[in-house]
Amino acid sequence: MLKVKSLHKTYQGPDGSFHAVRGVSFEIPQGGFFTLLGPSGCGKTTTLRCIAGLEDADGGSITIGEQLVADPTNGVHMPAFRRNIGMVFQSYAIWPHMDVFSNVAYPLRVARPRPSHDEIETSVMEALKLVGMESLAKRSATKLSGGQQQRIAFARALVRQPQLLLLDEPLSNLDAKLREQMRFELQELVARTGVTTLYVTHDQAEALAMSDQVAVMSGGQIVQSGDPRAVYERPQDAQVADFLGIANFMPGRISALGDSKSLSVKLDGSIGVLRLPDLNSFAPETAVRVVFRPEDVVMRTAAADDTVEGRIERINFQGTVSECHVRAGETLVRMLIHPSVRVQRGDQIWLAVDPTRCVVFPAESVALR
Amino acid sequence: MAGKLILAGAAVVAIYLISVPLIFLLGTAFRGPADFLPFEPGSRWTLDNLWDVYLDPALYRSILPNTAIFAAGSVTITFVIAFTLAWLVERTDLPFRSAIFTAILFPLLVPTVVLAIAWTLLCAPNAGWVNVAIRGLFGVQGPGPINIFTMPGLIICQGIASTPFVFLLLCAALRTMNPSLEEASNTSGASPIVTFFKITLPVLRPGILAPLILATLLTLEQFDLPLIIGFPARVNVFTTRLFFDLNAEDQLPKYGSAAAVALLFLVIAILLLALYNYMVRRAERYVTMTGKGYRPTRLKLGRWRAPALVFVGAYLTFAAVLPALVLLWTSLTGGVTWSEATLSWTAYEKLTSDPRFWKAVVNTFIVAACSAGIATLVGALISWQILRTRFIGRNLLDFISFLSIGIPSVIAGFAVMLLYLSLPIGVYGTIWILVLAYSYRIAVTTRLSRAALMQIHAELEEASSISGAGWLDTIRRIVLPLMTPALLSSFLLLFMVGFREFTIPMMLQSDDNWVLSVVMWRLQNDRQTGEAAAVGTLIVLFVIPIIFLMRRYLLAQQNND
Ligand SMILES: Nc1ncnc2c1ncn2[C@@H]1O[C@H](COP(=O)(O)OP(=O)(O)O)[C@@H](O)[C@H]1O
Ligand SMILES: [Mg+2]
Repeated sequence: MLKVKSLHKTYQGPDGSFHAVRGVSFEIPQGGFFTLLGPSGCGKTTTLRCIAGLEDADGGSITIGEQLVADPTNGVHMPAFRRNIGMVFQSYAIWPHMDVFSNVAYPLRVARPRPSHDEIETSVMEALKLVGMESLAKRSATKLSGGQQQRIAFARALVRQPQLLLLDEPLSNLDAKLREQMRFELQELVARTGVTTLYVTHDQAEALAMSDQVAVMSGGQIVQSGDPRAVYERPQDAQVADFLGIANFMPGRISALGDSKSLSVKLDGSIGVLRLPDLNSFAPETAVRVVFRPEDVVMRTAAADDTVEGRIERINFQGTVSECHVRAGETLVRMLIHPSVRVQRGDQIWLAVDPTRCVVFPAESVALR
Repeated sequence: MAGKLILAGAAVVAIYLISVPLIFLLGTAFRGPADFLPFEPGSRWTLDNLWDVYLDPALYRSILPNTAIFAAGSVTITFVIAFTLAWLVERTDLPFRSAIFTAILFPLLVPTVVLAIAWTLLCAPNAGWVNVAIRGLFGVQGPGPINIFTMPGLIICQGIASTPFVFLLLCAALRTMNPSLEEASNTSGASPIVTFFKITLPVLRPGILAPLILATLLTLEQFDLPLIIGFPARVNVFTTRLFFDLNAEDQLPKYGSAAAVALLFLVIAILLLALYNYMVRRAERYVTMTGKGYRPTRLKLGRWRAPALVFVGAYLTFAAVLPALVLLWTSLTGGVTWSEATLSWTAYEKLTSDPRFWKAVVNTFIVAACSAGIATLVGALISWQILRTRFIGRNLLDFISFLSIGIPSVIAGFAVMLLYLSLPIGVYGTIWILVLAYSYRIAVTTRLSRAALMQIHAELEEASSISGAGWLDTIRRIVLPLMTPALLSSFLLLFMVGFREFTIPMMLQSDDNWVLSVVMWRLQNDRQTGEAAAVGTLIVLFVIPIIFLMRRYLLAQQNND
């Protein structure tokens, strides 16, 4: 449905030029929900705006449906208003001089050929019903709350049943509780209309919860893409792992075990050995980092052959969980424990990690913190 | 205690500067007969002035329609030019935007008298440069074809002269508009033209209407061009009518009748001011709709680039380049025709050897600096009072200081004249009456320093009190240093307003208190064109560095490209 091929965009500014998007490629199938996930400033909005036609791409090509809309090397630049899209802006961009109804009716009123009065009325009320705002049709746009503005923005983007829906961090201007609620509504909405959606966010929870496909962006490039669960569990490199909130990076060295052919990681400081699958791509004696999430660490009260010894340095009570900082050899391991577990600062404990939840990267690819 | 005295003093001064002259004006409208000073023994209360003025058909046949046509016409021209320029500079990829922005400020700072005289040198029917050039090009004879001394001539010149001020206001309005509003229209399927008319203009409407009303108010009080271009064209508007009521060649000044005319226009001005205030509030309501994600994108002009540059070039040529050149040329040649012209410094030599010129230079700077100082000080103190105290009269103070924007300067000058004619303290005819008259413009300071004060959290001052500092110490060590930039801006602005001022010194002129703008007009009136042009050239040379100063310090935040 949407095909983006090696897209490039460079901004020319007064103090030099800035290469914001560097060869981004991806495809979204009909009805798919695709998310661009990445830290602020990585080029997500720019990519989205090139697809919308608000920004002219410098290289690559964009195809929406069957229509080639941008191909700068061949001089193709279809202006935004000719592309059949709906877009929700980060600031919602509700027009202050119109009431709710006129805001939503606008895409139909400017359409050529223009639908009849009754058709417009029906479609607008349908779109408003979709977002649960049909009772506010006559309200002035200056008298809407953030959540209401957002719903109106959705209704307006969907009213002419576009081929493609573009969403630029639509939840980031809402407070935490409303954001949660709107996330479910949005999912529901997109599922019901079946519109192909491109979603941009810096919030991994949003991305993982809603999408069929996620692409993690960094420095103007897509560094990893795929099924949300796969990206979450198997980050491709340390940068992605870091962005996805993996907090533990344990240094170690690959060692061949005497009794079998399998390899394992001997952790630095001789504090323990981890037997992990998938180590065959590493040569023995390679310096590596073992990467895992705080929630995948379990606490044992006695030593075993798969445990690492440590001492509790700090406990942060956070309500539903407590976060423990455990000193193991040179490194600090973060782990989550249930608040009912009675441990104290200074206690000696043993840590174990589920080997299937660990990822190993070569040491030189990870900047130590 | 000392603090209270200072604040009370500032409030009294503000009220005195603004309202006492107006009360005298109001009184004068009801005093007669005409051969007495309004408050001289022998005069009495009467309605004669009102009957004379408002039953006179001339008012309805010429003054009112002329003023209306003049204001409507020139505001329209100002708007078309200023909006196009502002839009090009703020929203398109027009080349040389920053330099163009600076150049547009030229007519804002050069006194309008100087421009007016320059334009008469350019477009006078006989010897005007433009006419000579057109006749030469097309081989036509006689005077013309352009005659600046007509109502259309007056309207066009005023329209051009008012453009920079409106341009600045419109740039600000355009800048506060969230560009996503237009982009949302584009992604909804509306073409750029449809977007412009259905979204851009309506969203900007309150932000455009407020400057429109202000421009109307300012055009109503214009005196320079109506005197220099309108009078020879026999186009009398309200300001010139007031002036000639008081300065008729063959009769005594008609204070009562002038005051009666002034009343009507004061009421109109205050109504416009109220409307302006309403529009500003509406504009603010629209602006608060913007959220995160601000990202101005500039429209690509493409093949419209050349026409856009031609438009800007034509404006700058007529508003800045040609006036400066014609003044320089005329000052060096004495205003003779091209063929007989020889370059010489004669005009400058005559000018600089005349002590009255030097006196005017000194007067101009003293009056501009003193009045800017007074208005800045008083304005800053009362805005502190309005924002930070619970003093009961603060709303009245707020209202009176805001009112000062709406008082036409002819009326201000006239009211001050009436006050000091009746008050024998010896300032009449000196430069000090000018200082007192100019100083009523405290609204400039109250606006700027209120904005600055709102940035200074009251807790900063409270922290100073907690640390043991008294009121004066807090003001001196905390508030003043933080407000310095705003106060300097306000002083510089008011200084330039005072430097350009022509109306008030014309109303209050005597042999002792000439300022440069008056001197230039008198020289031109006495047909000493070369010397007049020399004064104009010197003024322009003084103003040019100030334009860069202003651009750098006052409008620095507008350098957004
Ligand atoms: N109009 C512009 N001119 C110059 N640089 C820009 C412009 N817009 C964005 N950038 C730069 O491009 C980079 C990517 O921006 P953006 O796409 O908005 O990032 P994201 O949406 O991922 O936060 C940022 O470093 C930003 O500073
Ligand atoms: Mg963004």
